[in-house]
Amino acid sequence: MNKLMTTIAGLCLAAGAASADSRLDTVLERGKLLCSGHNGSFLGFAEVDDEGNWTGLDIDLCRGLAASLFGTSEGNMDIVPISWAQRWPALQSGDIDVIIKLSGWSQSRDTELNLAYSRPYFVAGFHVMAHAEIGAESVADLDGGSICVSAGTTTEKFLAAYIEELGIDAEIIVFESGDEVRTAYFNGRCDGLTLLAPPLAAARATSEDPSAHVILPDVLALEPEGIIVPEGDPDWLDVMNWMLSSLWFAELYDITSENVDEFKANPPSAQIGKFLGVTPGYGSRLGLSDDWAYNLIKEVGNYAEIYERNIGAPYQLPRAMNQLYKDGGLFYPLMVD
Amino acid sequence: MAQTYSGPGVFKRIRDDYFSTRLNTVVTLGFAAFVIWVVWSLFGWGIQQAIWSPADKDHCGHGSGGACWAVIAARWRLIFFGLFPFEEQWRSGIACAAIVLTGGLSCVPWFWSARRLSALWIIGFAVFYCLMRGGFFGLTLVSEQNWGGLSLTIFIFASVTLIGMPLAIVFALLRQSRLPWIARTMGVVIDTIRSLPLLSILFTFAIVIPFVLPGWMIGDKLYRVIVGYALFFACYQAEIIRGGIQSLPAGQDEAAMALGMSYWNRISYIILPQAFRNALPATINQLVITFKETSLVVIIGFFEILASGNAAYGNAEWNFAHVEVYCFVGLIYFTFVFALSRYGAYLERRMAVVER
Repeated sequence: MNKLMTTIAGLCLAAGAASADSRLDTVLERGKLLCSGHNGSFLGFAEVDDEGNWTGLDIDLCRGLAASLFGTSEGNMDIVPISWAQRWPALQSGDIDVIIKLSGWSQSRDTELNLAYSRPYFVAGFHVMAHAEIGAESVADLDGGSICVSAGTTTEKFLAAYIEELGIDAEIIVFESGDEVRTAYFNGRCDGLTLLAPPLAAARATSEDPSAHVILPDVLALEPEGIIVPEGDPDWLDVMNWMLSSLWFAELYDITSENVDEFKANPPSAQIGKFLGVTPGYGSRLGLSDDWAYNLIKEVGNYAEIYERNIGAPYQLPRAMNQLYKDGGLFYPLMVD
Repeated sequence: MAQTYSGPGVFKRIRDDYFSTRLNTVVTLGFAAFVIWVVWSLFGWGIQQAIWSPADKDHCGHGSGGACWAVIAARWRLIFFGLFPFEEQWRSGIACAAIVLTGGLSCVPWFWSARRLSALWIIGFAVFYCLMRGGFFGLTLVSEQNWGGLSLTIFIFASVTLIGMPLAIVFALLRQSRLPWIARTMGVVIDTIRSLPLLSILFTFAIVIPFVLPGWMIGDKLYRVIVGYALFFACYQAEIIRGGIQSLPAGQDEAAMALGMSYWNRISYIILPQAFRNALPATINQLVITFKETSLVVIIGFFEILASGNAAYGNAEWNFAHVEVYCFVGLIYFTFVFALSRYGAYLERRMAVVER
């Protein structure tokens, strides 16, 4: 009973110490990566196509990870459908090896839940979208109006705090689910709609007339999303960080899934030669094959390609702070030496 | 020629029933107008102005004012089969049909004996399991986590009912036991499980149990969830059966005892048949609730039909069409629940004949 209570309360406290082996060895031995999916669809990050195959930015990172580990994701990856609530226990019980499921890096998750975060691979802002006819240019212009938000989420808290900070008088209308809150906004029930940027852009892009809605520039709060592995497994975490770094490195040097073969056949610099496994070192230090980054880029492309395929083209969400540092964004590759 | 009395004519009856006073006339006309308006709007939205072909989907939602059934045409396989591999979905289809057929057949009175029913269900489940899971005869292996859609919903419902019903009978009998410690313990167990929300039971069985049980006992998440749900169902159903038993006059059992019948004979020939007849409406009700609550398994990551419906409209192409998808899923639920309740009504009529 004691054990049960511990499990329910902390869920994960003991599990990290239970095995000294890295999850990396377990996965390589198994020959298959178990990656997180979704129970339904999360626009842009985990969707299901007409034939029941997973697509999306998070799914592409899973595929990229499987390709990095095994050369190709084909036959080496299972996407396990899990709900939001199930993420942490599923990781600890070994149902999945890694959580790539748009999960924000918060202090309680990082410390109390004993999770380890990679560098953020996506930074999402909470924004407000308003009907264009109101002519609002920032949230302050919604003074005296109403803003819709879904219940029980951090979004609600961020919105209330921001409104208080601005000192404006806006009514917050709370709805139960994402579908409800969107429908309410589009039916004119409220002047503004608050959501995380990707779903907000999706709501706008798939509405009857996208030009009738503007996403206001105010950022109510930021949510840095990282890849999550169990705490105390540095080898496995290294793989995540270096996979993300490789995606940005490839983007920085314009290495794409199309031209990666040319780069490999004829590397313009010793650094890129090392990166693509022409000269040894880039993989063996991580416990992977030396051409793992080549396999990664070959399969899913660089970060820009992944973003464009899943978020940019379908939902017209500008990359904003999710660009490379040289374009004014937050991302940069680590040093390849 | 003698004339038989034929009662008042149709028009007179309608006038008497619905237009007898001025107030009644107003109420009747008001409601008639409302019903016509609702039906007309639904007809206009759902049929007349609806867009049926995925080829015309560009017209969807842009002022046509109609439903966009094109989303169903494009994504129905996802709704019905979830994440089941595309080329193998015929297996999921046949498996689903097999379970529905088994359920249909077990409603036929000819099958109503313990031997025939159990043979029928063993065959039904074997066909379902072999087709869904595969792994032999050249069928590729499809693990339980990729099962989904209608097949999964029906499978969960059928398994929960089949495990839960015998368990419920046992619980009810234990609760009625003449030994106070057994009766009281069972009462506490039933009341404890009934006072927990189904969601937390499912969550516990799916996620917490693997932390506390030894590895060989864990099994797939799907079966753990079914066991947990069956336990929950059994506790509710046990109380329904107990209600049925207690509504019988005590003389029934005493008379059987006086005739020298054994406990098992009294239970299976005298008590349970009558108890089930009395408890039938409540049992059908419980079955309907159980069927609808299978959708809660979405919380532990199963692609039952509601989740696969969510995935069906969850992309850039179809995101506007959630109302249509929910209507379609609602229609599927309606088909099954309506069939179930009509069958319950048939059973009640049939048993009423026996009673007379």
